[in-house]
Amino acid sequence: MKPGLATDGKRVLRFANGLQIRTGNLMAGIGLGAVVLVLAAYSSGLGLTETGLGDLFRLLFGTQLSDAEDFALWTVRLPRIVLGFLIGWAVGLSGAMLQSIARNPLADPGLFGFSQGSMTMIMLLLVFLPAAPKGLIAIAALAGGLSVAWLLIWLVGNERSTGLSIVLMGIAIETVLSSFGSLLILYLPAETSLALSEWLAGSLFQANWSLISAFVPLFLLSIVGILLLGPALATYDLGTEMAMALGERVATTRPLILMFAVVLSSAAVTAVGPLVFLGVLAPHLAGFVSPAVARARLFLSGLMGGILVVSADALTRGLASGIPMPLGLSLTMIGVPLFIIALRLQALRKLQSH
Amino acid sequence: MRFLIPSVTAFFLALASAHAADRTVTDDTGREVDVPVDPKRIVVMHEPLLGVPLMDVGVQLVGSYGRTDDGGFVIAVDFIDSVLGQGLPKPKGFGPVGQPDLEKLRALEPDLIVATELDAGKADQLSTVAPVYLQNVASGKVQGFEVEEDLAKLVGREREFEDRKSEYETRVRELLQALPDNPSGQTYLAVFLTDQLNVVGGSSGMVQALEDLGYNRLEINENNGFTAGGGSMMLMPVSAEEFGRLDPDVLVLLNSYMADGRDETGTRATLDKIVPGWDRFMKPALEDRVLFADPAKVITPSIASAEHMLDILQQWNR
Repeated sequence: MKPGLATDGKRVLRFANGLQIRTGNLMAGIGLGAVVLVLAAYSSGLGLTETGLGDLFRLLFGTQLSDAEDFALWTVRLPRIVLGFLIGWAVGLSGAMLQSIARNPLADPGLFGFSQGSMTMIMLLLVFLPAAPKGLIAIAALAGGLSVAWLLIWLVGNERSTGLSIVLMGIAIETVLSSFGSLLILYLPAETSLALSEWLAGSLFQANWSLISAFVPLFLLSIVGILLLGPALATYDLGTEMAMALGERVATTRPLILMFAVVLSSAAVTAVGPLVFLGVLAPHLAGFVSPAVARARLFLSGLMGGILVVSADALTRGLASGIPMPLGLSLTMIGVPLFIIALRLQALRKLQSH
Repeated sequence: MRFLIPSVTAFFLALASAHAADRTVTDDTGREVDVPVDPKRIVVMHEPLLGVPLMDVGVQLVGSYGRTDDGGFVIAVDFIDSVLGQGLPKPKGFGPVGQPDLEKLRALEPDLIVATELDAGKADQLSTVAPVYLQNVASGKVQGFEVEEDLAKLVGREREFEDRKSEYETRVRELLQALPDNPSGQTYLAVFLTDQLNVVGGSSGMVQALEDLGYNRLEINENNGFTAGGGSMMLMPVSAEEFGRLDPDVLVLLNSYMADGRDETGTRATLDKIVPGWDRFMKPALEDRVLFADPAKVITPSIASAEHMLDILQQWNR
């Protein structure tokens, strides 16, 4: 590994196998990782029981905690922090992938209708089978998301179709499914509607170690996906035709990337409900912290998604403990101001450079 | 190792709770639950539908979902005050609606959590604190004050329930003797007013009282142009146009908890907004067969609510 300069003059680290990484991206990744740890430490101290990171270290070094401390840390707080990070990672990553495929900065699992596909299937399942087991709900979410992806690919047509056509068709499907969802909420029995509305608002209440253990393989798979699909996404950022010109097998990789994004999005929807706008927020904020392409962009987007969800959960549990604040709302309260500031600063930066 | 410690802890906690439990019961969703024979610290996930019936048989609740930390209630009506009377100690809350706080719940040290069948999705998480019993509350699954009977059996208060029921039945007999006409065979329809008209389902003290006096629910179905709204539910919407054609022997009107007044004046004002001029063309109104009831008193599935309904009927027949 030795330092060098890229063709644009930016500093890079070059590895013996030919792999190179921009120093700025690496530092940003380390910085975001550190922010995740700091947030997790802070969040582990939020709640009724007076315990936190210090007690966690004491426990790891063999000191016995009281039942209340043990319950607060292991049953409530840590599962929420870990699952929150994994969910944020999945949605952020999914959004970044879709934005490259669509060449549209607004693309996310919600805009393409994947989240709505999963939600609609879950809602239908809960209407006919209110006590459906969690495994079946996960399968329903995946089936809903994949059905939308398949429909999208079928409607958009061959590999020569543009990113814009994918976005427009995605919006059309999303609109239809959202209308159907509203219809279900409106006309279902009041009790069922209330239960569905609660879930639609998003919550990490269901976080536990068994759910996390089901999510961890997906997280590991997502890292493999980043390593394998990252370079392809760099070519998609230049447009479908340019990607083809650069030798990208669009007919194969585009459906594969779409499917991958659907699996990540469906898993997140199953676990905590839809997290609107996170798929847009995370890649943009990550890009503001450190502009990146390919694998680095995906890693940074995933980390930023995790940070946003862990922060939103901290706000829900700690700062507003007496006020009903669903995860989706606290996520918006944290993410949107950051998003606006980031966009404004970017605009100012551009103005100054001219 | 990090994951081993909580797993082992959870295993021993589960083992400990299994020893502490005295009997295994099957709840209304088919789950087998170990519950104490004589639970002392009960928490409910729905106060009007579960908490009030339990308190009616003498149970003192330690926690109720929907209450604030200081014991206040999140909506305008405090059902404990309105149904059971002022001055009773209030259970404590454990997080805002939509976000139950497991740490606060555990701090209440419950030995039994009673929830509705609609809380089935939360049952696993709540079970980390105490055994969770899921009770059916939706109309079509339970009728009248059956919820109170079921819960009394669950917490070993059958005798208290029988005593309360016996008092109530005596009142029903006395009222029947005092009524000028025997209501047997006459029809009733209870309508709850929100921003629309909702036919009240069968699970409430009000319905129990009306049917014990001999009234029959006015049969309504989709052939009459009603929207059933998806099946089993507590409130079934009915259009203003169809409502105007109804002619039950007794029309019971209940104003929303959120409305300004739940008395006759407030209820009339609300209905006037939905069906303008209803009192000038509806037969029950023209023939003075409309009964105004406060839902905050009569809607819970408890004997106390049924007794409130008897009071209202007694006053109406004077």
